[in-house]
Amino acid sequence: QLTPSSFLRIGQLSNVDLNEDVRELETELPRQHPNEIPHNEKLLSLKYESLDYDNSENQLFLEEERRINHAAFRTVEIKRWVICAMIGILTGLVACFIDIVVENLAGLKYRVVKGNIDKFTEKGGLSFSLLLWATLNASVVMVGSVIVAFIEPVAAGSGIPQIKCYLNGVKIPHVVRLKTLVIKVCGVILSVVGGLAVGKEGPMIHSGAVIAAGISQGRSTSLKRDFKIFEYFRRDTEKRDFVSAGAAAGVSAAFGAPVGGVLFSLEEGASFWNQFLTWRIFFASMISTFTLNSVLSVYHGNAWDLSSPGLINFGRFDNEKMGYTIQEIPIFIFMGVVGGILGALFNALNYWLTMFRIRYIHRPCLQVVEAMLVAAVTAMVAFVMIYCSRDCQPIQGSSVAYPLQLFCADGEYNSMATAFFNTPEKSVVNLFHDPPGSYNPMTLGMFTLMYFFLACWTYGLTVSAGVFIPSLLIGAAWGRLFGISLSYLTKGSIWADPGKYALMGAAAQLGGIVRMTLSLTVIMMEATGNVTYGFPIMLVLMTAKIVGDYFVEGLYDMHIQLQSVPFLHWEAPVTSHSLTAREVMSAPVTCLRRIERVGTVVDILSDTSSNHNGFPVVESNPDATQVAGLRGLILRSQLIVLLKHKVFVERANLSLVQRRLKLKDFRDAYPRFPPIQSIHVSQDERECMIDLSEFMNPSPYTVPQEASLPRVFKLFRALGLRHLVVVDNRNEVVGMVTRKDLARYRLGKEGLEELSLAQT
Amino acid sequence: MAPLSCRLLPPLLLLLPSLALALGPATEELRWPLALGEAEELAEELWGAGLPGDLPELEPECRRLLVAFAESSAALTGCLARRARPVRLCQGCHRHYRLLLAQYGTIARAVGNSSESHNCAKSILTSDRLQIVVTLSQFFNETWEAANCANCLKNNSEGLSNSTVEFLDLFNKSLTCFEHNLQGQTFYLSPNNYTEVCKNCNETYRMLNDLYNNLQRMNRQGGESGHSAHLCIDVEDAMNITRKLWSRTFNCSVPCSDTVPVIAVSSFILFLPIVFYLSSFLHSKQKKRILILPKRIQSNASLVNIQEKYS
Repeated sequence: QLTPSSFLRIGQLSNVDLNEDVRELETELPRQHPNEIPHNEKLLSLKYESLDYDNSENQLFLEEERRINHAAFRTVEIKRWVICAMIGILTGLVACFIDIVVENLAGLKYRVVKGNIDKFTEKGGLSFSLLLWATLNASVVMVGSVIVAFIEPVAAGSGIPQIKCYLNGVKIPHVVRLKTLVIKVCGVILSVVGGLAVGKEGPMIHSGAVIAAGISQGRSTSLKRDFKIFEYFRRDTEKRDFVSAGAAAGVSAAFGAPVGGVLFSLEEGASFWNQFLTWRIFFASMISTFTLNSVLSVYHGNAWDLSSPGLINFGRFDNEKMGYTIQEIPIFIFMGVVGGILGALFNALNYWLTMFRIRYIHRPCLQVVEAMLVAAVTAMVAFVMIYCSRDCQPIQGSSVAYPLQLFCADGEYNSMATAFFNTPEKSVVNLFHDPPGSYNPMTLGMFTLMYFFLACWTYGLTVSAGVFIPSLLIGAAWGRLFGISLSYLTKGSIWADPGKYALMGAAAQLGGIVRMTLSLTVIMMEATGNVTYGFPIMLVLMTAKIVGDYFVEGLYDMHIQLQSVPFLHWEAPVTSHSLTAREVMSAPVTCLRRIERVGTVVDILSDTSSNHNGFPVVESNPDATQVAGLRGLILRSQLIVLLKHKVFVERANLSLVQRRLKLKDFRDAYPRFPPIQSIHVSQDERECMIDLSEFMNPSPYTVPQEASLPRVFKLFRALGLRHLVVVDNRNEVVGMVTRKDLARYRLGKEGLEELSLAQT
Repeated sequence: MAPLSCRLLPPLLLLLPSLALALGPATEELRWPLALGEAEELAEELWGAGLPGDLPELEPECRRLLVAFAESSAALTGCLARRARPVRLCQGCHRHYRLLLAQYGTIARAVGNSSESHNCAKSILTSDRLQIVVTLSQFFNETWEAANCANCLKNNSEGLSNSTVEFLDLFNKSLTCFEHNLQGQTFYLSPNNYTEVCKNCNETYRMLNDLYNNLQRMNRQGGESGHSAHLCIDVEDAMNITRKLWSRTFNCSVPCSDTVPVIAVSSFILFLPIVFYLSSFLHSKQKKRILILPKRIQSNASLVNIQEKYS
């Protein structure tokens, strides 16, 4: 294990002020031997790096920007719109694909199982049906889990935490790759068909984001195809904007909520926001839902009807009975409180489970086995619930997709089976819209209880699946139960319709689990297609969030924390004013000289113990009168490109014909820069010198040592910085503030706490 | 309805003496009971004769159409109401309905002889706010749609379709079977003991049930774009009655419940995850994280610092 002192003087940092501290640090080192601890929430992983949202404004960049004239900028703007349209269309098509495949496969599965159950109800031997159902589920989920666990683990879960991190500025490895998209789409299909308590809506957001990242780059590194288009957008800043458009398009396709999608991107993601971007994102969202709508309506045989704007449609909520009165608002608020408490319980249970999974179930094969077991148990629970239920309802036309008769009289079906023997989306809609009396309270109560634990158990498995629909389903079930008992208690007919209580319950439960506010309100409002519901839904979500936050934080934030991601919230922790940049920063800093020896650069880059990505560039040869002041900042990726192209001072003198390095060379390498090990530098070349002045960013952001943490935080967060150099009053480099330095301060239960860095 | 309007006439006449003069003697001629059509026609004629000439008059041609429509709608209403329970709407009333449709069609299409402005469609269908003829025909259409009668009629709506006839035959057969076996039973047996029926009629009932399911499946596949997935109300209701009799009254369908194997299998499945979690807790190596020391000035002191300042 290399200690920091081993490369202390690599950068020839001659800083008098620091010497004392350095010595102090050195004496402390032996006592603090690096140790191993079990995984916990108070860690920051070294695995995650930051994205460069700040353009490196070096000479090459400035030259290129100057070359681009007014008209060319206009083409760039048009290209942005074209890309947004393509994002919308492709996201819509992917959503269609998922929907159609899930519908057919799930239909096939349910028909097979139903046929089997019907057969064995007469003759006896229902345990075989149970086995068949469980085996079918488990094997489908096994395939879905294997592809996720062994091929692309980042495709697990809903993907919303990952996209949130990406938009926050954290580079999650592999998160926006084509391979991830393929695995995600197949994984979602398989886990929904496998009958897990999951939805296909959350993953749409991730899919949209990957599509956006892929299209905007005009190439696919996975397929090794470069279409030579959109080269201007090959950098983190532009890509991030498109990814937020993609996430919005995903939400829009999932719920048929274009405005909700835009607000989701606004709420969850982008730190940078301007009205042009908003307008473009809205455009992408609209295109996405429209594409989905038109393709699905053609598929369902009523073209031009445009009646299915999202993957889930809550159905119409605009008849007389669905209206609400002022008196009901306190009831809705109460439901919000219940939702908050239940959501907090869900999150707390899921927290323990996830911790256990991270610690003990980390091998892919174990993860696959776990997913299969969950699938089998889900089928088992559903079967037993249906088996034990004596709640029979007359069949009314074709409202039930797969009516199971089981022990009911002929012409009737088992009411529990409408909830369990169906895809979760359909069950949600049934709970919203089935006429009063379709479910008896016992059925609903048992269903809520079982589904709550199943959904909680399922979230966090190594399958790609979302939590939106299960939450809605739990909420709709207890909301309906609540509505039924209310009309029973009051004996009044005014509040008779339990459908709207199901809706409010769904909103409360979802709000209590994910704690989204603005975007969720609008999503729910758009999904119901009824603006007057905006007010009660807002109140419900607000209450659920307040109550839930009192106990435990939201599910997505919790998972981000458990993944040890250095996530920056909107504001610095409130009690952090006493900290200054001097205490926050990392020091000493590995600096490079403006004209540096190639060997030194290679050594610094290949030092495995310090995986630094940004290096302050200082004056080359400070003498007695001149200090080594900060001249600029250069990134690892840039250095690697320089080394790869062997842009050495000696070589430049040697052959004048050598092509000057252009910004294009940097872009072509983006985003997968080769590791330093793959670049061969001969012994002779090690002695060459490299001139960084043309490539470094000559105007990096700096702060003095006395700046307070909130100030540093604000600068960092608002500008999307990756490296912030701390200088003293002589412009000498004292330290460096990176994302991890800021993210480690967090407001815990006992005030400000500090997270430790860990290798994961 | 026509008889109603006749009965309402006298009080109206008191209020309108001038009209009463013209109509008074005529009302006496009305004798109860009259054939519906006759009454209708009479009233019509009275109105036509007694009204001042400046009121727009209905062409005789149109009046005939209207009377015909009134007659057939009355007939259809009667038919529908009489066949409401047990439901025989489609079988019994499809002729009436077709007639009504035809008559409405004639009205809508008909053009009077005298002039363009006086065509019947205009004067009957759209010249007042109420548009009672349109409303009536809409009501009949909607009822017909809701009952889904088109489903058990032939394509040109002439008579029942073959499958429906087959179904109804089978239905009658099973009803007869039920009746037969119930009569055969001795009366002093307990009323819940219908084993005889169950045994003897099982075959017929199965056939009926299968046929119904087949019809339903065919309907769902074939007519997805047209009408909804319902069968026509007659068939549905017939099936419902039979099923209710079969499984509720006779208690014939007693499914085998095998609770013990189900409990065994499900507890086995439930047992698996417990084993899995326990074994992975006991045997799997816990994942450890290697802490990295941050390079920092006063790295240790900083947290102490914070707490000092704030406590």
